[in-house]
Amino acid sequence: MRLSRTMALATGVALSALLMGTAIAGDENFDYGSFEGYTLRVKLIGGAQYEPLYATISEWEEMTGAKVDVLSRKNHFELDREIKQDIAAGTLDWCVASNHTSFAPQYGNIYIDLNGVIAEDILAEFQPLALQNSTVDDRLVQLPRHSDISNLYYQKSLFEDQANKDGFKAEYGYDLNPPETWDQFKDQAMFFADPPRFYGTQFVGKDEAITGRFYELLVANGGNLFDENWNPIFNSPAGVEAVQWFKELYDAQAVPAGVPNYLWDDTGLGFASGTVALNLDWAGWASFFNDPENSQVAGNIGLVRAPVGSAGIRTGWSGSHSFSITATCDNTEAAASFVTFLTANDRQMIEARKGLLPTRAAVWDQAKAEFAADGNDFMVNVFETYAQSMAEDAFTPPLIAEWIEVSNEIWPRLQAAILGEMTPQEALDEAAGKARIIMEDAGRL
Amino acid sequence: MTQADVASTANIRPRRRRRRNLTPFLLLSPAILVILFVVLLPLLFSFYTSFTGYRLIKPETLYQWVGFQNYQRIFADKNFWAAFGRTVLFLTIALNLEFLLGLGIALLINRITWGQRALRTMMMFPMMFSPILVGYQFKFIFNDNIGILNNALQALGLSEGAIPWLVDKYLAMFSILFAEIWMSTSVFAILLLAGLFAMPRDPLEAARVDGCNPWQVFRHITLPFLMPFAFIAMTIRSLDVARAYDIVDVMTGGGPAGRTELLWTLIARVGYDNARMGQANAMAYISILLSIAFTYYFFTKLIAARKYMGGAD
Amino acid sequence: MDRVLKKRIGKIVTWFLTFVLMLIISVPGLWVVLTAFRPNREVLAKPAIWIPQDPGWTNFAKIFGFGAEQIAIPVPAYFANSLIIASTSTVIALLIGMSGGYAFARYRFKFKNKIFLGLMLSRTVPGIALSLPIFIIWSRLGLIDAKLGLIIVYVALNVPFTIWLIDGFFRQIPKEMSEAAQVDGCTRWQAFWHIEFPLAKSGIASAGIFAFLTSWNEYALASNLTRSTDSKTLPVGLMDFTAQFTIDWAGMSAMAVIIIIPALILTFLVQKHLIAGLTFGGVKG
Repeated sequence: MRLSRTMALATGVALSALLMGTAIAGDENFDYGSFEGYTLRVKLIGGAQYEPLYATISEWEEMTGAKVDVLSRKNHFELDREIKQDIAAGTLDWCVASNHTSFAPQYGNIYIDLNGVIAEDILAEFQPLALQNSTVDDRLVQLPRHSDISNLYYQKSLFEDQANKDGFKAEYGYDLNPPETWDQFKDQAMFFADPPRFYGTQFVGKDEAITGRFYELLVANGGNLFDENWNPIFNSPAGVEAVQWFKELYDAQAVPAGVPNYLWDDTGLGFASGTVALNLDWAGWASFFNDPENSQVAGNIGLVRAPVGSAGIRTGWSGSHSFSITATCDNTEAAASFVTFLTANDRQMIEARKGLLPTRAAVWDQAKAEFAADGNDFMVNVFETYAQSMAEDAFTPPLIAEWIEVSNEIWPRLQAAILGEMTPQEALDEAAGKARIIMEDAGRL
Repeated sequence: MTQADVASTANIRPRRRRRRNLTPFLLLSPAILVILFVVLLPLLFSFYTSFTGYRLIKPETLYQWVGFQNYQRIFADKNFWAAFGRTVLFLTIALNLEFLLGLGIALLINRITWGQRALRTMMMFPMMFSPILVGYQFKFIFNDNIGILNNALQALGLSEGAIPWLVDKYLAMFSILFAEIWMSTSVFAILLLAGLFAMPRDPLEAARVDGCNPWQVFRHITLPFLMPFAFIAMTIRSLDVARAYDIVDVMTGGGPAGRTELLWTLIARVGYDNARMGQANAMAYISILLSIAFTYYFFTKLIAARKYMGGAD
Repeated sequence: MDRVLKKRIGKIVTWFLTFVLMLIISVPGLWVVLTAFRPNREVLAKPAIWIPQDPGWTNFAKIFGFGAEQIAIPVPAYFANSLIIASTSTVIALLIGMSGGYAFARYRFKFKNKIFLGLMLSRTVPGIALSLPIFIIWSRLGLIDAKLGLIIVYVALNVPFTIWLIDGFFRQIPKEMSEAAQVDGCTRWQAFWHIEFPLAKSGIASAGIFAFLTSWNEYALASNLTRSTDSKTLPVGLMDFTAQFTIDWAGMSAMAVIIIIPALILTFLVQKHLIAGLTFGGVKG
C-alpha cells in the first residue's frame, strides 16, 4: 500500500518535472553505488521551497536500486520536536534527516561526523565557510544543502521619485540612496511610512527570528552575546542600541503594528503586496518578488547588501539547511550516497533557479551564467549581491546546544522592550540573567 | 433498588448476589483499563520526571534526580505565575461569557418556530471546526495588515489606523478569547436548548396566570430549571478547555512579550523547544490541579442541582 | 390591539437578534469557505477584494494533484485515516461507554461516586502534559505512526463523557421495563438489547456525535503520534500548508472545507437525536 503510493507519487512528480522542462541532463558519471533491495528511511523538511528537490529522489532510486521511504515531511520546528521525541524514546530507526545550522548543536551525538564518510574530493567542492558553519565541536555533523543570509530589497521607484529625493534631503540632510547603515535604514523607513496604507519596513517579531535579527545587529554594533568564557554580555550599550532600533521604528509606526507576531511568511508576503518600502529578507523570496503573478512589486525591485551597524560591521546572520546521517543508521554507505546526491551540482541548480543559495562554489557561477543567458538581470544581481555577503559578511549564532533555549529567553523580552513594557536595558538585563542560568545548568559557567 | 430488596434477593439466590457485586466492575473494567493505560500510566511517568532534570535531548538525564528543584524554580518564577493567573482569568471569562451567550442563543432559538431546524444546524457550525483550524482562521481575520477585520473597518471608515489585534495588551487577550468563545459557545447553546425543550409547560402557564411578568417567570422558573444543564455544559467545557492550546499556539504562540501566555503554551515551549521536560512536567502538574479544581467545582454544583431536581443519587 | 403590537415588536426583536448572532457565528467560517475558492493573490490583496473576481476549484484541484502545479498533499490518505480513526474510536468508545454507563445506572457498588468522578477527572489532563509520556510508551509498543495508537488514545479521551451521557439516559428508562421482560423469561442481556437499548438510542447517538467530532478534529496528540500517510489525520495534514517561510492560506482553506463537510453532514443527520439525547441524557433520571 505504502509502496504503491510512494511510487505513484514519484512517477507523477517525475512527469511534472519533465513537463516543466527542468528534466535533469544525464551527466551522472558519478557512481552512487548499488543498494539493491535496501530501503532508506529519511525525514525531510517540507514546504513549497524545499519540495522541488525531492522530485529527483526517484533518480537516485533508479541508479542505486534502493528505495527511499520519507517518514515525515514537516517544517523545521515540527521536525525538531519530532527528532527530540525520537531521541527521548530511542526511536532513531532512520538514517537521514534534514538539519539546520541553528538546530544542529542541540542534537549531540546522534549524527555522525561526515569527515571520512563523504569523500574528501567531494567535500572540497563545497564552500569552506559553509562547511565550517556546519561543524560542531570539530565534527561535520551535516552536509550543507543551501545557505541563508539576508539582504535589503527595496522598491526602486520610491528612490527615483524626485519629490521623495527632495523631501528626504530637506528632512534628513543627506541624499536619498539605498541605505548603507542601519541608521539610514531607520531614517528612510520612517520617511516612507504612511500607516496604515504604507510602511517603511517590517521585521520578524518573534521566535528565533527576532533573536537572530537582534543578534546580528548586536554584532554589527560591536557587541556580542557571550564573552569567551560564555558569560552573557548582550546587555551592553551595543545591545541597547540594537533594541532601540526596533523600538523606534515600532513607536514611529514605520512598521505594521502587528510585527511582534510576524514571521518570515508575513514579511515576504508584505513586501510582495507592495505596501512596504524596504525589506531585509533572504534570497529564497527573490523569484517570488519578481513574479507578476504573485507580487505587486515585480519589475520594481532593487537590492543592496545588508547595512552596516555602528561598529562598521555589516550584519550577516547566516545559516544553512543541511542533511545529517544518524549514528544508528544501518547502512551509512547508502545514506552517504543519498546526501551526496541531494547536494550534488545538478540538484543545487534546481534550488538555485528558485533563488536558494548554493553551497558549492561551482554552482554559483553556473547559476549566474544561466540567469545571464536567459536575460534575467534581476536574478544575476541577486546572486552577485548574495555571493558577496556570503563570502564577506556571513556569521552564525554560537553553535552551542543552548542556543534555542537562550533565544527563547531573549525574544519575549525583546518584544516587551519594543512594546514599551520594559526599557531596553531592563529587558536585556533580565534576559542575560536567565541566559546565565541556562549556561550554568549546561555546565559552561 | 433499596437495601431491603437486595437483601431479599440475596436470601433467595446467594450465588446470583456475588455475581451482581462483580458485574458492575466487570462492565466498568474496559473503561477503567483504557483510562489507566492512556492517562494514569503516562501521568505517573511525568510525575516522576518532574523530580528529575530530564531533558529530551539527553536521555540519560531521566535518572538525574533533582528533588524539588523544578518546583522551587517554578514557584519563584514570576512568568509562570503570570501565565497561571492569566489562565485562570481566561477560563473564568471564557466560561462565563460562553454560558451567557449560549443562554441568549438558546432562548432566542427556542422562541422561533419557523426555520428552527436550519438555525440549530447553523448554531452548531463552529463545532465542526478543528481548534487548530479556528486558530488559523482567526489569525487571518485579526491580521493587522491584510486581515479582513481591519480591512472592513477601514473600508467602512470606522477606523483610520491598522488595529494591532494580536499585539495590543488588551486586544490580544480579547482576540484569543473571541476565538475560544466563538468555538465553544455552541456547546452551551445546544445543551441549554435541550434543557428548554425538556421544560414542563405547566409551571410556566401557572405562573403567567398568576400574573408574573416575563422576567419573573424567567428568573424563578426557567433559570433554576436550566441550571443543571448549565453546570453540565460548564463541566464538559472545563473538561476540555485545554483544547484552547491549539488556538492560542497558532494565533499568538503566547506572545507578544508573554501577553497571551497561558500555562499550556508555556509548558509546550519549555518541554519541547527548550527540551526541559522535567520542568515542563512540574508545570503540567500544577496546571492539572487547576483543571481538576475547576471541574470539581462545577461537578459538585451539578450534583447539588441534580438533587434539587429530584434526580438520581 | 396594544398586545398584538407588542407581540409583533417582540417577534421582530427576536428575529433581529437571532440574525446578528447567526451572522457572528457563520461569517468567520464562511469567509474560510469563500477563501477556499479564490487564488492566493486575491486573498492577500490590500485593499481587500470582497467579492471573488476569479472563483474556481483550482485550490481543490491542486490538493488532489490535478492542477498544473502539484503540491502533492495526500489528502485521500489523510481523509481515509481520519475516517477510520474517528469512526473506529467512536464505536469503541460507545461500546465501552454503554457498558460503563449501564453499570452506573443500574447497579449499586462500592466507590461508585469516586470511580465516576475519577473517570471524569481523567479528561481534565491537558493533552500537552500527556503527549510525551504517551509517545515514549507508544514507541516501545510500536504504536507510533499506527492508526491503532491513535484509536486507543481517542477512546480514552471520549469514554468519560460517553459514560456520563449514556448513564443519564439509562436512568431515564424505568427499571421496571427490563425487570418485566426478565420475568417473562428474557435474560438480562436480551432485556437490555430488546428493551433498553432501543430506548436509549438517541442518547447514544448524541454521545456518538460528540465523540466523533472530538476525534475528527483533535490535533495536539495526533501531531505527536502520527508520522506519515500511514496514520496522519486531516487536522495534522493542515500543517502541510505551512512551511517555515510561507503559509498557503487558500490551499489551507480548501483543506478546511474538506475537513468540515463530513462533520457538517453527520451533524445535520443526527441533530434531531442530538437534541433529544441531550435533553434526557444529561440531567434527568
